Amino acid sequence: MDTFVILLINGLADAALIFLMAAGLSIILGMMGILNFAHGTMFLWGGYTSVWVFARTGNFWLGLLAAVLVGGCMGLLFERLFIRPVYGRVTAQILITLGLMIVFTDLARVIWGATALPAFRPALLDGMTVIFGIRIVQYRLFLIGVGLAVAIGIHTLINRTRIGMVMRAGIQAPEMVRALGIDIVKYFSFVFAGGAALAALGGALYVPLVGSVWSGMGMDNQVLAFIVVVIGGMGSFVGTAMGSLVVGLMGALVSWFFPPAAVVVNVLLMALVLVFKPSGLFGWEGK
Amino acid sequence: MLGRNGAGKTTTLRTIMGLLRLAKGKIELVGESLAGLETHHIARRGIGYVPEDCVVFNMLTVEENLEIAMHKQDKETKERLIYALDLFPDLKIAYRRFAVTLSGGQRQMLAMARSLVNDNKIILIDEPSKGLAPIVVDKMAAALIEVKKRSTLILVEQNFPLACAIGDRYVILDSGKSVKSGTVHELATDEQLQSQYLSIGT
Amino acid sequence: MSRTQFQSLRLKVFGGTRLGGGSILALILVALVLIVMPQFVGIVVVTLFTRIFILSVFGMSYDLLRGYSGIINLGHALFFGGGTYIAGIAFANFGASPQMLLVAVVATVVYSMAAALLMGKIAFRGGSVVACAMITLALGEIVRHLAENWRSVTHGADGLTFPIPDFLRDRVSFYYYALVFMVVMMLILRQFIQSPTGRVLMAIRENEQRAIFLGYNTATYKLVALQVAGIACGLSGVMFALSSRFANTDLLTVQQTLNALLVTIVGGTGTLYGAIVGTAFVQLAQFFLLGLRTLHPIFERWLLFFGAMYVLVVLFMPTGIVGLYHRLGDKWARRGRGN
Repeated sequence: MDTFVILLINGLADAALIFLMAAGLSIILGMMGILNFAHGTMFLWGGYTSVWVFARTGNFWLGLLAAVLVGGCMGLLFERLFIRPVYGRVTAQILITLGLMIVFTDLARVIWGATALPAFRPALLDGMTVIFGIRIVQYRLFLIGVGLAVAIGIHTLINRTRIGMVMRAGIQAPEMVRALGIDIVKYFSFVFAGGAALAALGGALYVPLVGSVWSGMGMDNQVLAFIVVVIGGMGSFVGTAMGSLVVGLMGALVSWFFPPAAVVVNVLLMALVLVFKPSGLFGWEGK
Repeated sequence: MLGRNGAGKTTTLRTIMGLLRLAKGKIELVGESLAGLETHHIARRGIGYVPEDCVVFNMLTVEENLEIAMHKQDKETKERLIYALDLFPDLKIAYRRFAVTLSGGQRQMLAMARSLVNDNKIILIDEPSKGLAPIVVDKMAAALIEVKKRSTLILVEQNFPLACAIGDRYVILDSGKSVKSGTVHELATDEQLQSQYLSIGT
Repeated sequence: MSRTQFQSLRLKVFGGTRLGGGSILALILVALVLIVMPQFVGIVVVTLFTRIFILSVFGMSYDLLRGYSGIINLGHALFFGGGTYIAGIAFANFGASPQMLLVAVVATVVYSMAAALLMGKIAFRGGSVVACAMITLALGEIVRHLAENWRSVTHGADGLTFPIPDFLRDRVSFYYYALVFMVVMMLILRQFIQSPTGRVLMAIRENEQRAIFLGYNTATYKLVALQVAGIACGLSGVMFALSSRFANTDLLTVQQTLNALLVTIVGGTGTLYGAIVGTAFVQLAQFFLLGLRTLHPIFERWLLFFGAMYVLVVLFMPTGIVGLYHRLGDKWARRGRGN
């Protein structure tokens, strides 16, 4: 029973982190048709930024804020300078974001060095809580809380605001949105920057969990986010949430019993979903 | 706007809306050129667009579909919303439902209502009767005749009787060129013209 | 011979390409230089060009997918690294004999076909180019993870050194083997592209929906393309093993796939020789830049240049060097005819 609860908590915490990264990716993909290979880079820079700021100010929350700001700025920059010129050309977008990923990953190495840096949890969250006699890592509970808060926030944004309306409409028919007099390109900037900020937050929250930040973590987690998007369905908020849960829980389960299989299991899941529903669990045909 | 399939009718509408780039010639609205403008600017000049296959937003409710189309949130817009809903009472019943649940006829009505909430002097409508049952088409024709009182319609239609019932002037396109134009009354009474350009009655 | 006879000869040899008389001359010149070069330059340059020949095949196999079939495969490195590892493991464990080389080649072909089958079955179900890219990326990463964890066989990220058959040890003679390899592979791939299957693939690249409507089972054709590309790529991996005598998991990374992608962009996609031009350009650029290391440490950051080159080429020169060449050629032609 104890093991079950611990695995559940682990899985949910992992799911929360993956969700942060996958949510932005999914919406950007669904609405703008852009597969952002540089998404993992925001995750990476979020991690490095938060560690750097935390080390210098001693304030974990400041670190998180800095990460979000850096991510958002990177997103704005990328979208304006590199995505807009190639908007509509799928291949060119993939290639450019790949190039950006390479440049900025290496830039991170130049700035912060090639070896991993240690990442700490704030004193407030660095301990164990006992719930029903089971010892649970506090930080993981925190992650679940953040994940829930973000999910609720995004859900509210999508369903109760004008921005959300435009996003929902834009995922289906961006041309029609323009024909109704809405400059959808402005919304693209917002969506892209928002997705980037979320990914950066994910990175900032991820590094204290694993204890260090290293230059390869962007790509590793990006692949995971891709898998979630394929499983859940592109552009579907519910799909991304479900996909994150599935991947997170499955990963925690497999890592506990048979670690080497963790990577393979995710891809098997993806393959399974593709066989039975190629557009993803919550995706829709023809998109 | 009449003509065989592939004559360029939809292309013309899309070019007016700026969805396609103007290759040659002019597009002017009351003397002002629309060429090269962004689609959303063209829409804001007061041109409504009801495309082929409606394109209503499935993930939005009927209410949201209408709301997203509004350029302003003032009293006049609210009055126009009420007017549109009176024209298409079915939409009042389905008001809070997601557009994906609507029938084909209701989607068409929603698409048209959408173009009425703004002060659109011109409304481009592309094959509104496509795939609809005759009784629905009749309802729509009545609505369009009402709408004509406030706005100018540019109607692309394959359904000849419907076009004649609604239209005042016509232009026939063939291979992208305008080959004949005049009043609808002339066309409706000239069978030779009909068979020559529209393959009606051959 | 008369002008028309020359034209038809030209068409037969280079079938389909728009090579004028001047280009053929240039080609013959380049061929002569390549054949004669090892006699005049040092081992370093010889090895550099050997690498160019081998990696050109890597690039060509990639272009078969992207340029001709419209498929973006981000896990392509698994064929390349796979071939290198298979050869390396064979030699390390069973001795470096010509027989083992044959075994390695056969094993690589089998591996490539199986991997391509699996990969294609999963990736092409995604439907869109984007889904395919994501899935192939994930699959490639899996292979890399497997290789990293299977330390007993692959030695993980540290890498595996191994001997190679004696008759291939001489750098200069291997240079010629590599050159022949490149030419042969190019002819084979060209033959494939010009076959009926290849034509269908190009149609799929243009508009897959239309191809489906015309009754073609596009999934099957794409699978065939993946198999052919995979085998070509795997073989280039084997050649690479023979050249470098070392294998590590870097050969299975996304960065390695991106090497192939980069050369097709720089050289020009949709043309096999574009991959050769691109590979030569990138390898030579890398060689020179790294040589400038002594001037300033920034040149150490090869990846930065690589990535920046990527972005710039995509933004400003999407048709690559070959595309540029063709456009200039058209300009000259028009000038000649007095417009």
